[in-house]
Amino acid sequence: MIEVKDLTFSYGKDKKALHGLNFTVEDGEIFGFLGPNGSGKSTTQKILTGILKGHGGKVSLFGQDIASVHNREFFQKIGVLFEFPYLYSNLSAVDNLRYFSAFYPKEQLRDIGEVLEKLEFKSDFIKKPVSSYSKGMRQRASMARALISNPRLLFLDEPTSGLDPSGAVLFRRIIEEERRKGTTVFLTTHNMLDADLLCDRVAFLSSGEIVALDTPGNLKEKNSNRHIRIDYLYQGKREEKVIDIHELEAGMSFLHDEIISIHSQEPTLEDMFIQYTGRGLS
Amino acid sequence: MKYFRTLLGKDIRLMRSGRFFLVSLGFLILYTLYVNFGYVRFMDTQIYNVYLYDPAGTQERTSALVRRVSSKEAFDRALYQDANSVGINAAAGDIQIVLYGGTEKADRHRADYALSLLQPAAPYTAGDVGLYTPEEKARREITCELLFFEISAVGFLGIAAVLFKEKGMGVIRVHAVLPLQENLFLLSKLILFLLSDLVFAVLLTILNLGVSAAMPILPAILFQTALLSLIMALTGLVCALLLKDFRQFTLVYLLIAIFAATPVFLSANTAVKLDWIGLHPFYHIYMGLKNAYFGISASSPFYYLGIASMIAVLYAGVHQLFRREMGKEAA
Repeated sequence: MIEVKDLTFSYGKDKKALHGLNFTVEDGEIFGFLGPNGSGKSTTQKILTGILKGHGGKVSLFGQDIASVHNREFFQKIGVLFEFPYLYSNLSAVDNLRYFSAFYPKEQLRDIGEVLEKLEFKSDFIKKPVSSYSKGMRQRASMARALISNPRLLFLDEPTSGLDPSGAVLFRRIIEEERRKGTTVFLTTHNMLDADLLCDRVAFLSSGEIVALDTPGNLKEKNSNRHIRIDYLYQGKREEKVIDIHELEAGMSFLHDEIISIHSQEPTLEDMFIQYTGRGLS
Repeated sequence: MKYFRTLLGKDIRLMRSGRFFLVSLGFLILYTLYVNFGYVRFMDTQIYNVYLYDPAGTQERTSALVRRVSSKEAFDRALYQDANSVGINAAAGDIQIVLYGGTEKADRHRADYALSLLQPAAPYTAGDVGLYTPEEKARREITCELLFFEISAVGFLGIAAVLFKEKGMGVIRVHAVLPLQENLFLLSKLILFLLSDLVFAVLLTILNLGVSAAMPILPAILFQTALLSLIMALTGLVCALLLKDFRQFTLVYLLIAIFAATPVFLSANTAVKLDWIGLHPFYHIYMGLKNAYFGISASSPFYYLGIASMIAVLYAGVHQLFRREMGKEAA
């Protein structure tokens, strides 16, 4: 679906933003693009969505070179959720969706009511102006805008930002559903939980370079010390022991009366990011 | 065409929610009331009263406009109560002009006028120049000025306000990823504001000149209005795309109002002579509109060439700035 080879981009002469990115995104894949602010995530996404021109290297979308692909037909196939919920605040959610969907062929559009229902949009707000919505409601209306055209390729930038935990769960479920339908998702996020739970593969971006690219599981596994921590009771006293994962195969070799809990010492995706880039995400 | 209709519908809603149409209607009513109940009546007021105190009867053949007073007290009282008037005191044998001082030029004019009334049979008559009565002339002049002001100042604010609104909501960035030509986004605004200015021009002209006087000159007025409207709308778009917020815009607006419109009004309507005014593009546009109101179609091809180039350059600038705005933080 997306193929990027030696992608470079500079803002002016001395401000190089991307230093030769290489990655591919397969059809129906959820691909996570993770990086701190200023790492080049937005620049990459702007190039892929045709907003920024003048890049170096080769970028193909839908099997075609990007230079020839950014036409009306291309934009009919993509959906973009921005980091901020950009909507007409004087219009209602329904009117916003009616307006934005008017630029797509009728036969590819979803039913506005159904999409809003899927996003558990509060029915009392459907006809009220967006200016009266909470941040979460705006994010839902924005997501509806990105989904309304039934896109084959979905760019999502911080999709769960501004949502309460149940809203975040709902959004993750909807993104999963999209993937099951065959939609390719390019996910840009700071949220490690989203990336871990949703992404088939993630790329860590730092200062315009991809410093790691793999499945979240592989990244964690490769860098795991393979230790587990066991909390247990022995002679009425609570104790803790860290053992190698292979020791478990031989059974519990230490004296104990009761095992309270066993914790994997596997690193988190955020630990991995810091390890690879030397920087936090925010 | 379907996309264009959608964009037009959205822009109409934005203008309606910003009360643009209501404000335009308010200005139309205000201007019409001013022209019909203020300006025309003001222009029709009598010229200065002239009072003559001539106890010895030395001035025998004065004009009927001269008001004779019988005593020095009455003379002083008349001048005191009618501060705009001119007094002629002939009590000492020779003639003395008495008046409240104003500007030097106006005082000389008032004095000359008063003296001219002492010789009503002077061998000159004023000839009529042009086709219009003084009231018709006044109506055309003031309507032209108000229309120029409305389009260059008020309408210009309107289009900038609409775009600032969209910029603030971030929706311009969404249009970058829609299957839509960006030119259509700009054209819908330009055409809407153009239509709105043309409707305003038609109504203002008909209400202040009357249907029969307006009809023959309307095509030329609409043509000149369209040129001015496009230039101002594009200038408004440039400002809205270039500047950060509406507060910055108001400063630029003041600069445009002061440095662009004021010299034009001063040069075209007062005795102020500015040698460089021929280099001021708005002066030519204003004169084009004024000529249209007086049925004169004497603009040179260079004028139209200049206007067309100006519109093309402004549009190219707007297009570039619009692309830049779409790229900001989008995606």
